[in-house]
Amino acid sequence: MIHLITGGAASGKSEYAESQVLASGCKNRLYVATMSAGTDPENLERIRKHRERRKDMGFKTIECSLMLSDITVPEDCAVLLEDLPNLLANEMYLPNGIGIHALGRIMQGIQYLDQASDELYIVTDDVFADSCSYEGGTKLYMQLLGLISQNLTSLAESVTEVVYGIPVKIK
Amino acid sequence: MKMVVGGAYEGKTDYARWQFGLSEGDIADGLECTQRELLNCKCVKHAEELVRRTLKRGGDPMQLAENMIRFNPDMIVIANEVGCGIVPVNSEERAFREAAGRFCTRLASFSDEVHRVVYGQGMIIKKEQRT
Repeated sequence: MIHLITGGAASGKSEYAESQVLASGCKNRLYVATMSAGTDPENLERIRKHRERRKDMGFKTIECSLMLSDITVPEDCAVLLEDLPNLLANEMYLPNGIGIHALGRIMQGIQYLDQASDELYIVTDDVFADSCSYEGGTKLYMQLLGLISQNLTSLAESVTEVVYGIPVKIK
Repeated sequence: MKMVVGGAYEGKTDYARWQFGLSEGDIADGLECTQRELLNCKCVKHAEELVRRTLKRGGDPMQLAENMIRFNPDMIVIANEVGCGIVPVNSEERAFREAAGRFCTRLASFSDEVHRVVYGQGMIIKKEQRT
């Protein structure tokens, strides 16, 4: 079952998602990290912090920047996919990404993870309430993220927005 | 402590005045208030600007949050949610969003009530008995 978790920057989304995985009762916990850090110190630091926090939670971590359907999911497993905006950016901007046809491939990958696991928690980001409007690539990116989010919301068992650490039920 | 959060220009301050019976003089402004005003006021608005000012002078916003909790635990904190939008290109602006998010999350965890205001309408997203 799909559980979508959204919220602003540093709003406590990841912590909430981790707590939900722990509460799911599944024997195995798989963390799917979509960020390809490269050498950017800010990204590396972010990844280090997340790893540090997860280290005693019994997660197995898999890095997957593109093909979710290549992931092996164990039996009796809760999957935490973090995060959707990154996955879309990878598909659109990495050299081996699928570009503007990202919607189909991402939905297919998520469908696979959903069917292969017992619970699937997907962390996304609220990027839609901004003070300026965007053109070109960024606009297309936001449109696709909006479409994927709406598709997932219609499939999801639950959708939760985390506001400064407080879960607010959307669906 | 109580918090009122929401986007800019959503009517948070008017809502707080009505909800908590505040007068104009009860409300300090995070854009310009002194530390003394902050730690003695009934209410502060633009709390996210406290974070910006603290970062600018090389201070630690989390330490500021702890000081507010310790020395003005009954205050009402009004804060703009600033983390919703495309990640800014400017690294200082990114750092500000992160710090403001963590700062508000800390205050919200201490608060016994958190109200979220959308277009002037408040929704209580957290309410618990003081322990």
